[in-house]
Amino acid sequence: MAGSEETERNLVQRYAKQAIERPQSTYRVLLYVALAFFLIASLFPFYWLFVIALTPNRSIVDMGLLPKGFQPGVFIDVFEQIPFHIYMLNSVIIATLTTIIVLFVGSIAGYVFGRYDFPGRTPLLLVVLVISYFPGVAFLIPLFQLFTENIAFLGVHSPMLYNTPWSIVMPLSALTMPLIIFLLSTFYGQIPDGLEDAARIEGSTRIGALFRIIIPLSAPGFATAGILTFIIVYNEFFFSYLMVSGTAGEWAPVLHGIFQFQGSQQVAYDLMAAASIIGVVPVAILVMIAQDRIVSGLTQGALKE
Amino acid sequence: MGSLRLATVTKQYGDVVAVDGIDLDIADSEFISLVGPSGCGKSTTLEMIGGLTMPSEGQVFIDDNDITDLPPKDRDLAMVFQNIALFPHMNVYENISYGLRIRNTDKEEIDRQVNQAAETLQLEGMLERSPSELSGGQRQRVAIGRAIVRNPSVFLMDEPLANLDAKLRVHMRTELQQIQRELDVTTIYVTHDQEEAMTMSDRVAVINDGKLQQIAPPLTCYNEPANRFVAGFIGSPSMNFVEGTIEGEQFVSETLRVGLDSVALDSVTGVTLGIRPEDIYFADAEPPERTEPIEATVDVLEPIGEKIFVYLDAEIDETAGGELADAQEETRGRSKFLMSAPSESEIEEAESVEIVFDRTSVHLFETATGEAIAHGIAEPTQTPR
Repeated sequence: MAGSEETERNLVQRYAKQAIERPQSTYRVLLYVALAFFLIASLFPFYWLFVIALTPNRSIVDMGLLPKGFQPGVFIDVFEQIPFHIYMLNSVIIATLTTIIVLFVGSIAGYVFGRYDFPGRTPLLLVVLVISYFPGVAFLIPLFQLFTENIAFLGVHSPMLYNTPWSIVMPLSALTMPLIIFLLSTFYGQIPDGLEDAARIEGSTRIGALFRIIIPLSAPGFATAGILTFIIVYNEFFFSYLMVSGTAGEWAPVLHGIFQFQGSQQVAYDLMAAASIIGVVPVAILVMIAQDRIVSGLTQGALKE
Repeated sequence: MGSLRLATVTKQYGDVVAVDGIDLDIADSEFISLVGPSGCGKSTTLEMIGGLTMPSEGQVFIDDNDITDLPPKDRDLAMVFQNIALFPHMNVYENISYGLRIRNTDKEEIDRQVNQAAETLQLEGMLERSPSELSGGQRQRVAIGRAIVRNPSVFLMDEPLANLDAKLRVHMRTELQQIQRELDVTTIYVTHDQEEAMTMSDRVAVINDGKLQQIAPPLTCYNEPANRFVAGFIGSPSMNFVEGTIEGEQFVSETLRVGLDSVALDSVTGVTLGIRPEDIYFADAEPPERTEPIEATVDVLEPIGEKIFVYLDAEIDETAGGELADAQEETRGRSKFLMSAPSESEIEEAESVEIVFDRTSVHLFETATGEAIAHGIAEPTQTPR
């Protein structure tokens, strides 16, 4: 009787039976499906960039999944044709400066929002947070005017910041700040009051306690905030594109470097692809190093008293 | 070294008065306990001395210098916290030396001081460990080490032993006292445990509802409590109270009548009589100055070794109780007493006994205000201060 029932089932029915009896295996299959989807969505562009980079420019038509040719030298050509390393350095400097400013100011603001109880704290924090929802583009034209000596107040002209790192660092600091303040205030708010009180009794100022006790104990949050800022700035397009003219000597970041291979007559797709891959490297390294740090910070259980 | 003075220090949070005009005058190298139930304002008082909370009114002086507006770091005091509050990301050495390092003391001096503190606290060989590798008592010692290493003029301790287990607490209590005596530093010790306060301090400051109730040496607080709150708070188990009135020269309540020969009563009518469990005797035990015997039934016995706690139901003769309505009989016709009897007493539950009070240890309080009227109702009247 049982045997005949077994044979009556078709493939789908058998699979359904198995799924009901052993749900774990079904979950695992679903996990692999989802993982595969995300891996393809995020890694396929990389693979495609490699394909384009390795294919000589004149052969780039009707591309399939495999490169038409093999020219590994393209990754060196990128640096020979334009000073791509300078563009990268500019990007790293701009992102680092922004990260430092945002972490410093954000720490102090995060401390105030996270550990001080004052009237109007929540509304003020919400106002700060709302700013982070504004599209950066909305500020572009007024900021451009401001950074190019076009705004005068009481006879004093705004400074000329076009083609300096500050024209990118300042607006991006302002735009990332709310998010970082919010992030840090949650982390700083979790540090027990007793530790700060102890530091203050022992001779620290509030700021001293912030930097010696609260920040070290919030290391994972602090690192996350820093990496987040760095990546946001490094990947940013509008201000990075429009606030500098585009030459390596005048603080143009990586994206201008990539666009250098786009001439009016011809586009060097292979070089652009190679430059794009190289441009990812600093962030990839940062995330790898920092991820290790974040994980170790969390497992130390430094927050337990 | 430092003397410390609080002048009408008050702290208000909105409408809530946490600390209400506390005046304290603490001499150099004195050990003072601030004791009171939780939420009475003792910790807030300590925080105001430490500078962690700003008083709404009043001033704080150390050695006659007004430090009310100084930040904590400039007050030259050290504090041990209830939750110990060691810095988890620093090892023992770094924790102890934190204050010195902040002040840019030179390396050798720091080494010397830390080693000395470690020796005092028996922490040698643990300087490299992190706080998470230490036991509760060791952590507490590190916290004390962090406090003593800077040679502060005042020590603040906010229930430092509250998080330790009972045995270790008693041990650390003695250690703390030794250290305090050795260093001879003015110490303010906050606790909710009256026993801790009694055993450790030179003087005990009892606080309730943000107000200072009494500041006096431990035995004075015990023998001559300034008011009903202090009487009930100091001493364990706590004092028995019976509310009643004065009729002629007698204290009269539902359950007992006590003659008050010579107490000056100044036309007070509502009076509460207080008697400690250890001042109640069986009628045959014959204390020298005894009251009239009172009939009571043994309710519950709690033997604790060297003595027995006896819960008694005292009932008055039917003349007074009989007129009461049934519903009120439970509460008005009888009083509960707790008596501390010698352990060799041969009594049983539900037994009827006769008890007497030691007249020298009967306390009288004005019911309306709680202020003490008299301590002892034997002959020469002791008037409270």
